[in-house]
Amino acid sequence: MGTMTQTPPQETPPPGVPVLDALGPSGAYRTRNRQEVRDVTGAVMAELCLAPALFVNRTMKALRGASALPAAQRAAALARAGELFRTATLGGMTVQEYEAAVTRVSGLPISVVRTATKTCAERVGQSYRSVQLACPAGAVSDWRDPLARTGQAVWTRRGDVLAVHVPGNHPGTHGFWPEALALGYRVAVRPSAREPFTAHRLVLALREAGFGDDQVALLPCGHDAADAIVRGADLAYGGDEIIRRYADDPGVLSLRPGRSKILLTADTEWREHLDMIVDSVVRHGGSGCVNATAILVEGDPAPLAGAVAERLAALPSLPPNDERACLPVQQSKAARALETYVLERAQGTRAWLGGTGFVDELGDGSAVLRAAVHQLDGADAPQLGAELPFPCVWIAPWGRADGIAPLRDTLVLTAVTQDEALVDALVEEPTISNLHIGSHATHWHRPGLPHDDYLGDFLMRSKTLVRV
Amino acid sequence: MARAELSPLELPYDADPDPDEVVRAAMRWHFSPETGTPFWLGRAASLEFDPLTDVKCYDDLRLFPNVANELRDVPAADLVPRGYGKHPDIVGVYESGGTTGAPKRVVCPRDWLEKLVDWSNANLDVHGFPRGVDWLGITPSGPHIVGEIFRRSAVTHGRYGFQVDLDPRWVKRLIADGKAAQADAYAEHVVDQAADILRTQPIGVMTVTPPLLDRIAQREDLVELINEKVGAIRWGGTQMDADTEQLYRTEIFPDTALYGHYGSTMILGIAGQRHGTPLGEPCVFDTFAPYITFQVVEPETGRPVEYGRRGQVVMHHVSKALLLPNNLERDTAVRVAAPAGSIGDSAAGIAPVERFDNEAVIEGVY
Repeated sequence: MGTMTQTPPQETPPPGVPVLDALGPSGAYRTRNRQEVRDVTGAVMAELCLAPALFVNRTMKALRGASALPAAQRAAALARAGELFRTATLGGMTVQEYEAAVTRVSGLPISVVRTATKTCAERVGQSYRSVQLACPAGAVSDWRDPLARTGQAVWTRRGDVLAVHVPGNHPGTHGFWPEALALGYRVAVRPSAREPFTAHRLVLALREAGFGDDQVALLPCGHDAADAIVRGADLAYGGDEIIRRYADDPGVLSLRPGRSKILLTADTEWREHLDMIVDSVVRHGGSGCVNATAILVEGDPAPLAGAVAERLAALPSLPPNDERACLPVQQSKAARALETYVLERAQGTRAWLGGTGFVDELGDGSAVLRAAVHQLDGADAPQLGAELPFPCVWIAPWGRADGIAPLRDTLVLTAVTQDEALVDALVEEPTISNLHIGSHATHWHRPGLPHDDYLGDFLMRSKTLVRV
Repeated sequence: MARAELSPLELPYDADPDPDEVVRAAMRWHFSPETGTPFWLGRAASLEFDPLTDVKCYDDLRLFPNVANELRDVPAADLVPRGYGKHPDIVGVYESGGTTGAPKRVVCPRDWLEKLVDWSNANLDVHGFPRGVDWLGITPSGPHIVGEIFRRSAVTHGRYGFQVDLDPRWVKRLIADGKAAQADAYAEHVVDQAADILRTQPIGVMTVTPPLLDRIAQREDLVELINEKVGAIRWGGTQMDADTEQLYRTEIFPDTALYGHYGSTMILGIAGQRHGTPLGEPCVFDTFAPYITFQVVEPETGRPVEYGRRGQVVMHHVSKALLLPNNLERDTAVRVAAPAGSIGDSAAGIAPVERFDNEAVIEGVY
């Protein structure tokens, strides 16, 4: 009976695989229930501890019971955390090992991941300063401000505990949520199961920099416990399917698809902006919400589509850890599913690139997602908003008669135009979150500028204060 | 009547009869015109075998189809064996939770319930449950059998049973309708009632479901009260994973015995947690064999999975009270060898199927 055992083999972790712990109010928490984190070839890279709902509930309670660091310490700790994130060995991983791990599981080119490390570190380091920019001009952030003697608005938190459900598309998405810590929130982060390394590293960096274990927590978990994170928080923010389920809740801020676009009017010569256009499509491996999903051009879109396709066709198919890699890689099965989906979605369009498929197998279980360029008949074609996690762009003709309707629901719109009346309309359009006028790539960004509005506008409110 | 002459179906809980003899006796009982069950007597004609001659041993139970779904509309009276006489001593008619459709119904005669509770009480002793204390039950009082098992356990192993009712179907409905806030409020209402009993009565044993125990554990005052008064907690109704159990045993209720049930109204009973599972290991459930048995199988083929592998749970009930073989449950479990001398499988790590993230293509890069 030697083969009979109470410990089931398939439930026992393979030896030697690193384990990413949950990070609770008393430090690291290692569970028996875990999820394998696989790289793009399907190899097991790590195991992610899945915290049970009981642990989540207790952690949320601990966060609520904790007090925030004083403001000056928060600012200093965030600056230090950014630096640690960029340079330190955290959880046994050097920054190079961390970047290699993210590259392997996300399939994002290594150069993209390295850039993301720097961007993320910079955003975290400056997050205290960034949130001040969201403070209404009429408000102060401390009741002791002398202005409060004569009546003043004071900027205060809408709650104490924020739940963050991080999407796994790009490590750069982690640059924003530490702003909540800057504002004195306690934060519970549920990492993406696809790429948990960034969340893990960032929480370790924040703790090392001075935030308490009861001020910022990492709670990888299944769906039931993920609901408990949302319910246990005052406000929630993120982009995963749990957050989508709560999208109608005013206490939940949902990261929406970017559907970023470029508009070129007839008074501009598109050939002068080709570098910017291609860069907008392909930077970050085309995986970001700020990558261009659609290009609208006044006049015949065919020459532009041809030129973009020609540039994108020249990009090499390489594994993500190759220094020259610039296209994203996924597990072959997932890549094929995406290919089937896009080909189906693209029916009736004119394909300039990727019309018969865009998956390039690397032979190790992974596949490169090569770029796809499709030309649409009109600015009202339904494909226009189809945003996908690789360089996939829909190019359509646009005319004055179309108006701004095709430009709605856009995270970043780059408008290359001389038409100030049109710019007026675009600035005023509420569903366009960010507007770049002239030749600024859609992914252009600087710390302190809003991404999809200031996070502070969601986390804070102003109240009247008067002291006698 | 001398004990040696008793049918294998009428022995006390600790008699340890031959499983094959139990099966043969059950066939004679349920399929004889004088003692048989109207449901089975009627169903016999459509079986492709003769239960009286073809079912000779425990393994032959596999010949039976899974008739569990027919229990959604069979008149309850047709489930009572005629052998119980004109005025059978029936404790109650019990229903499944209705998770997979309309509820299924079974009927529970008193002799069976007493035997089951005797077996269960012996388990409670093994797990260190204090005898003679007052019990608090936060479980459905009906129509599921767990309420009756609670009451009988409380008065036979303990002294008085205090109950707070729980309607799991209403909770499921609220959640299905997206009314999470109402489900929350209902659960808090249940916990409030339990809190009142805990505060005012000398409760020594608690019976509760894992989600409610989780809520209770969020209230510091109740955790204190339980640690002060309650010597043992019996949980059941949904699964508790090993990580959660470990938190209770090490951090929240370190001095309280924690013992789980894995039950189903459709087996007229429960399986009990094996004693002595190491901390952090999933608990193993042993059945009241040979009357209640499990098999852990591949859902596609019905064949047993290897020991240590996960499969779907098939439940059999073979007793004087009920014949319900081959009931394929929704749960998955890891197959574990039954205790020495027992038949069927034990089950560990009971779990519904859950995935962390799906791989379907969703438009939008978040």
